[in-house]
Amino acid sequence: MKSIFFAALVMAFVFTACNSNTDKSKDTKTEKETTPTEQMYACSMHPEVTGKKGDKCSKCGMELSVPVDNTGTPIPPAGNNSDTTKPISTVTPSSFSIKGIISNYLKLKNALTKDDSKTAATAGEAIVANLATLDANSLPAAQKKAFTDVAGDAKEHSEHIGANSGKLDHQREHFAMLSKDVNDLIKTFGAGQKLYLDFCPMYDDGKGANWISETKEIKNPYYGSKMLTCGSVKKEL
Amino acid sequence: MKKLARKIVIIGFVIFLLMQLYQPARNKDNGQVLSSHITKMHPLPDSVNVIFESSCYDCHSNNTKYPWYSYIQPARFIMERHIRNGKKDLNFSEFGNYSRRQQESKLKSISKQVKSGDMPLASYIFLHKNAKLTSRQKEAVIRWVDTTLKNYE
Repeated sequence: MKSIFFAALVMAFVFTACNSNTDKSKDTKTEKETTPTEQMYACSMHPEVTGKKGDKCSKCGMELSVPVDNTGTPIPPAGNNSDTTKPISTVTPSSFSIKGIISNYLKLKNALTKDDSKTAATAGEAIVANLATLDANSLPAAQKKAFTDVAGDAKEHSEHIGANSGKLDHQREHFAMLSKDVNDLIKTFGAGQKLYLDFCPMYDDGKGANWISETKEIKNPYYGSKMLTCGSVKKEL
Repeated sequence: MKKLARKIVIIGFVIFLLMQLYQPARNKDNGQVLSSHITKMHPLPDSVNVIFESSCYDCHSNNTKYPWYSYIQPARFIMERHIRNGKKDLNFSEFGNYSRRQQESKLKSISKQVKSGDMPLASYIFLHKNAKLTSRQKEAVIRWVDTTLKNYE
């Protein structure tokens, strides 16, 4: 009996050792958007509530009126976006767009406001995939430098957010640093949509931290349900 | 029944012996401290230097102090994996090769990980009793990070 036990122990060792490299090479690109068959709409007060045209918002009962794509990002109305959106600099090739990053960043932010660690992780992985598809070589030198500087850092933070599902605090640490990166990206490449830079004065022992939001209404991703409406709009982007 | 058990023991033992043949290259810098090493970039007070030596460098630098059981598999497998993962996230020996932005991020993360007690890993402390940080040592690291971060503003 004893020897069986010992043998099992040895085998267990062997297995743990040989198992060591089961890298979870999850395909982050499964996030790829499928084209929606139907136009989706969101509530103008609660952008997270989406549905078909004519549906009512589950939170306030208003009709869903803001056209959004299936990522939940508002589609700017065609024609009159010249005044609100910064024109993307003409030197930036049209193939280079940080829209995907912004959209997934906002998804991540919204997941954190709901304390939803799993969705946050998925969004983090999606940002890693977004970054991988962007080719900085097509950019003029100055922009290329700005991008590669940010991208290396942003990739790491997104990876950590993706790998730490279940550890909200750790995800939020990286989210704080990722927010800075995304803000700098927007400074260089333009947001392409109306965004707000919000500020939470409490986070990180009172050092404070920024985040970027698509709504004027404050929903704090750093504390989630604990103090959702705490914070302030710093400026419009 | 008894025969089978004996067979298993023998096979297990043979596998164990064969495993010993696998001895990958060691994570050693042989005294060559790179110019990108954190100590060459930022002044490190002794109190912090001691902490880094005892609690961080084994997995977060190019120079590991291997314990005796590192010569025995499968301990070595597990150790190498920890070192590889550790260096991937933060390598003090090559700190200067990170972009400024990344250096700043990593410093912030060091402070937070130490403060929350996530680092050093509990499994590492279990085997290296002197790696455990006292609250005073934690404060020293956090304070050092705060002063060092001022260089990045």
